[in-house]
Amino acid sequence: MTRMLKDITFGQYYGSGSFIHRLDARTKILLLIFNIVFLFLAKNYYSLALCTVYVAFVLLLSKVPARMFLKNIKTILPIIVFTALLNLFYGGGGTVLFTLFWNLTVTTGGIYRAVFIAGRIVLLILISSLLTYTTTPNDITDAIESLLSFLRIFGLRGAVHVLAMMMTIALRFIPTLVEETEKIMNAQKARGADLENGKLFDKIKALIPILIPLLISSVRRAYELAEAMECRCYNGGVGRVRMKRLRFSSLDLAAALFNLLFCGGIIILNILL
Amino acid sequence: MSKIIEVKNLSFSYDSGAKDSKYAVQDVSFSVGYGEIIGVIGHTGSGKSTLIQHLNGLLKPTAGEVLLEGKNIWDEPKKIKDVRFKVGLVFQYPEYQLFEETVFADIAFGPKNMGLSGDELKSRVENICEVVGIRKEYFEKSPFDLSGGEKRRVAIAGVMAMQPKVLILDEPIAGLDPKGRRDIVSMIKNYREKFGAAVIIVSHNMEDMAVLADKLLVMNGGRLEIFDKVYNVFSQGARLNEIGLSVPTVTKILYLLNEKDRNIRTDIFTLDEAVKYLCGYGAGDAHA
Repeated sequence: MTRMLKDITFGQYYGSGSFIHRLDARTKILLLIFNIVFLFLAKNYYSLALCTVYVAFVLLLSKVPARMFLKNIKTILPIIVFTALLNLFYGGGGTVLFTLFWNLTVTTGGIYRAVFIAGRIVLLILISSLLTYTTTPNDITDAIESLLSFLRIFGLRGAVHVLAMMMTIALRFIPTLVEETEKIMNAQKARGADLENGKLFDKIKALIPILIPLLISSVRRAYELAEAMECRCYNGGVGRVRMKRLRFSSLDLAAALFNLLFCGGIIILNILL
Repeated sequence: MSKIIEVKNLSFSYDSGAKDSKYAVQDVSFSVGYGEIIGVIGHTGSGKSTLIQHLNGLLKPTAGEVLLEGKNIWDEPKKIKDVRFKVGLVFQYPEYQLFEETVFADIAFGPKNMGLSGDELKSRVENICEVVGIRKEYFEKSPFDLSGGEKRRVAIAGVMAMQPKVLILDEPIAGLDPKGRRDIVSMIKNYREKFGAAVIIVSHNMEDMAVLADKLLVMNGGRLEIFDKVYNVFSQGARLNEIGLSVPTVTKILYLLNEKDRNIRTDIFTLDEAVKYLCGYGAGDAHA
């Protein structure tokens, strides 16, 4: 269980100062959405191949070690396999290769689709994890706040800021909570708590000595943080200025143009082949 | 004095398997006898906490072994829970692990996990509360309504209630007021006296160590630097300074006085003794 907690990589920033790191966080979020859309638009193997080349190029550009990405793929591997298997049997068309029990038939069309879907999911995970590896959680939330600021025309400006602040705080406290959970687990284990053995009901009951102290300390922490923020005169988003401002540069323009090229390629391959 | 716990060539690395793995604890050997109080000192990151988590089997050594009453605790990994009842570990800020509705129930959590119930459980809890001075009025209170010092006492009693033969405490008096500190210190002393248990205390506070401990175990960079009687450790002031530790404040004062008057002893480590010595110093001098 302790092992598992340590393997959570969400929001893990890997600073290498690459071209992608230097892009504006807003650019990265918008381009990510754009890329995801086009990954879904890719219809055939030729456009999927182009996507693969594109993703590989971007990953290389980020200078983030390959093992970090592999780790992400590994955690999600069961889902990939499951989806691929489903598509293997539901995929229509093509010649029938062999029939398993009942009516489960494996066709060439099914294999085609299974591999295609698996490839697409892998690419989706790779390109999405790139965002968290190359952008600090703070930058991401700042960018979200900035991107959603158009909501102010509906009178929702304060809400957007509060939402972004909540996200920042939540991300910031993930490692703290993981550490705290490990500490409490160890303390209760030292008092003979059994977290691994027993029936399901026993296991659920065994969580009580961990969850209650965790809940209490989270509430305590929240109060302390609120007090500390108020001591620094924090009173919401209105009129607040930033120390670090997001700025678009020529790098962002270059990235956007490069993306247009990629998207154009997908459309052409989709239509031509 | 016969040994209750013995550590032999213990090494531990958090990422065992990696080629260039760094050791948090490296080649540490020592043994503790019944009724001894051992102080573990060392600056932050020296491996103190990692070391003590090996003694009750929360961590498994990468190399070396831990013997409890002559038996390797990892001989039967399935019975590691029994080791945790014999070697009680109180973590830093134990008051944050309280969770039950009443003080009584929280103290009973450990003994309950040992399989005790009914009258046996009740007498176990009442017994330990008597030893450590938690009055019966407190039993039905919520632990969350207590003051910080009281919470800590209840939490430590929760571990003591398992009647471990070795009691390990990580910074048990950190962040308490003077009365809270005195309460905890007397709790620990009472427990040792009543059950003849060995006590291992991790602390940054050299003054308390000088008063409480029989022997000191000095950790530095994951290795055991010195393991000796308190007197022998604190007489090596220069060596302690070198590894980021120091002698008790009162000893530092004696060193300064010694610069003025070479006859003044510098091998006194507790306040009481120093006061006694300095008050008698002039008189003794006149006699000589």
